[in-house]
Amino acid sequence: MRYLLSKLLYSIALLLGVLFLVFLLLHITGDPVSLMVSRHATPADIEALREELGFNRPLLVQFGDFLTSAIQGDFGNSFRYRQPAMDLVIQRIPATIELASVALLMAILMGVTIGILGGSNPNTILDSIARGIGLLGQTIPTFWLGLILIIIFSLNLGWFPSFGRETFTFLGLTLPNKSIILPAFALSLFTTGQLARFTRSAVMEVMNEDYVTTARSKGLKKKRIYFNYILKNSAIPLISIIGVQFSYLLSGSIYIETIFSWPGLGNLLAEAVSTRDFFLVQATAFFTSLVVIGLQFFTDLIYALVDPRIRYR
Amino acid sequence: MKNFKGSLFYLGLLVFLVFAMLAFTGCGGEDAVDEPDGVDTDDEVPGESVLRVALQTNPNTIEPATGDTRTASNVAWSIFNSLVWLNDEGVVVPSLAESWEISDDGLVYTFKLREDVVFHNGYPFTADDVVFTWERGQGSDITYREDFLAIAEMVKTDDYTVEARLDAPNAFILLLMNEHWGILSQQYHEEVGEEGYLQNPVGTGPFKFVEWRAGDRIVLEAFEDYWEEGYPKVDRVIYRPIPDTSTRFAALVNDDIDIVSNLGPEQADAVVAADGVSLVTYGQDRVYYVTFNNMSTGIGTPIEDKLVRQAMSYAIDYDAIIDRLFDGYAERVSGFIIPGNLGHDPSVTPYPYDPDKARELLADAGYPDGFAIEMAGPSETYTNFEQVLQAVAGYWAEIGIDVDLQFMESGMFWDLQANRELTPLFGDSWSSSTGEAYPRLIGSVGGEDASYAAWLDPVLVDMVKEVEMTADSIERAEVYTRILKYMFEDPPFIYLYAPTAFEAINDRVKNYNPRISEQYYLKGVSVE
Repeated sequence: MRYLLSKLLYSIALLLGVLFLVFLLLHITGDPVSLMVSRHATPADIEALREELGFNRPLLVQFGDFLTSAIQGDFGNSFRYRQPAMDLVIQRIPATIELASVALLMAILMGVTIGILGGSNPNTILDSIARGIGLLGQTIPTFWLGLILIIIFSLNLGWFPSFGRETFTFLGLTLPNKSIILPAFALSLFTTGQLARFTRSAVMEVMNEDYVTTARSKGLKKKRIYFNYILKNSAIPLISIIGVQFSYLLSGSIYIETIFSWPGLGNLLAEAVSTRDFFLVQATAFFTSLVVIGLQFFTDLIYALVDPRIRYR
Repeated sequence: MKNFKGSLFYLGLLVFLVFAMLAFTGCGGEDAVDEPDGVDTDDEVPGESVLRVALQTNPNTIEPATGDTRTASNVAWSIFNSLVWLNDEGVVVPSLAESWEISDDGLVYTFKLREDVVFHNGYPFTADDVVFTWERGQGSDITYREDFLAIAEMVKTDDYTVEARLDAPNAFILLLMNEHWGILSQQYHEEVGEEGYLQNPVGTGPFKFVEWRAGDRIVLEAFEDYWEEGYPKVDRVIYRPIPDTSTRFAALVNDDIDIVSNLGPEQADAVVAADGVSLVTYGQDRVYYVTFNNMSTGIGTPIEDKLVRQAMSYAIDYDAIIDRLFDGYAERVSGFIIPGNLGHDPSVTPYPYDPDKARELLADAGYPDGFAIEMAGPSETYTNFEQVLQAVAGYWAEIGIDVDLQFMESGMFWDLQANRELTPLFGDSWSSSTGEAYPRLIGSVGGEDASYAAWLDPVLVDMVKEVEMTADSIERAEVYTRILKYMFEDPPFIYLYAPTAFEAINDRVKNYNPRISEQYYLKGVSVE
């Protein structure tokens, strides 16, 4: 219980810290007023608008104001869109969740497979290939990869559309069709590399454990050893990695979403930053940090449940 | 090797899952056509002509008075009409007003309205809607309220006649109306409110609004009761925001999009090489410049001397900058009135690159060894602009002018500019969308009231005022030519270049005519 409480308090403090940092970085570079008025506006007009929007007050007062209304669910209106900022964020959430989920699924399938293949055949050619893919996945710049994928799979092969989210209706749900494959694949590659490397070392470690040797010497079937002993025990540390990676996928898709013109949060954030739409940036930052910190919190919880050794008193 | 077999089993499972997923998603896409409740605008309806247009940014609204970018207003003008329209030849022609008269003193414009026009929702169009549009346009949250405030009073004289009254003659009233006066339905606005109107816009234009999916697409369809006979030429328009330039190009080549704009010079050659698509280029109505600042920090510095400013104009190898930084795709300009603008005079040719003459002039002005001065520029705002300013500073160094060049984030840059706290020299650009240089001139040399102005010259201020007062376009052209010559001789700016715009279209698209202001109208565009 104490463990849970301390983790929760830590998460809230972290969220506040992130919000303050975002707030500070935005305001340090001036305010959006000069972008909002027309170029014919007089200095007096600009000052009047600044006054009206409250940008001439001390920063801490503005931040306090933002927090007070944010707690009540009011994140202010987007200057550009003339709509509540949180509404705009919520519109974009499904697209990002779809992309992150498909990417995570791809990453787990590919990364864990590669990791197991490499880890259970250490120091073979297969292992080298697996390690190579793992390394590549983590080092290829995603924006470059995105363009290469478009060139190969859209322009040359014509298998997938070059951009955007096309949908179909299934059981009353609007789901993306194959247009999600390229962006999800591009997004998944970093996580694939991470999971491949991690799984490989986890499998190798477990394979050398005494209980595996014992099982072998007792003459248990290889398949049984494999699934009951090795994979099961390798899976425990993977859970926390997957949790962290999912939060990364949910928040880190600015490049991918922009390149593939995927109508998600990353796309919105990139646009909001470039147009200095402060409240929209803050609402997006709030949502993504909430997701990242929240997922981290739940991963810690699950981790504690799965691994009986973790008990804080 | 048994382990290896186990992993093979796992691999088989993986392959199966991936294929299952592909099949599922792939088939799903096709099933959607049969779905009765399928809200699927992605698939084209057979026999329907569709125009797919890429947008560089997401419009904030698709209504002309509030849409804050050219992209937004281009979409908006598919949905709305104004009283008048500037046609492809640059002539103001009737639109919702079938005719108008201007009083002899230039203070009263009487518009006779068309009687056969209905809004997309069936509401009739009357004089009340015009008066309402004017009233609503003055709201403090309207982006282009100045264009509405320019008319002092808008009076309905009967159901199909309105009178626009001005406080002073203004040569630009009709052009302003063409820009941002999209006529709204008063009755519909009263029903749904401002926010509702912007989310479900209703106009009298060639296309009616169907759907807007945030960040994804805006769908319009032909308005069957459109008043202009024979328009529009396609059944459906789908706008897709694609922020990344390379992706826009790929989408065109892949036949996912019919019209793309805002390509870069690096894509131009690729478009020419690709099959089935064509490049559309034109010089943009935008001038990049370095301004001299004699209103604040530049007071008392050598730049107040005309000879120094001429010397600095001669010192730059403009052609080399255009060749190296823009692959030759930009135009030299001799002033703020550029080719395509009313009153442009080709006999005024741009300053040549002549460093010897520059040194001579500098010596004549009393600075044979040059001087030191500060210059600022916005960072990551305009294509290659940082490099341009660095090159300019380099050329000036060669004649002994030591420039301390600083770049700052654009918001801060414009804040300082508006507060008149910027350096004695700074680089920026100014566009115009009316086909005339007036917006550029009034904003930059229009006098004390113009908040982004850095140069004050009473003679110039008077000439710019004269433009505003001259309703006759031939007489106005003469004033512009005088301004061009004056600003060349006694330059308040270093005139750098006007950029080239790159667009591309699928060869099926006919009659697409973007203007130098990057404006385009889709009502006459067809798809074969």
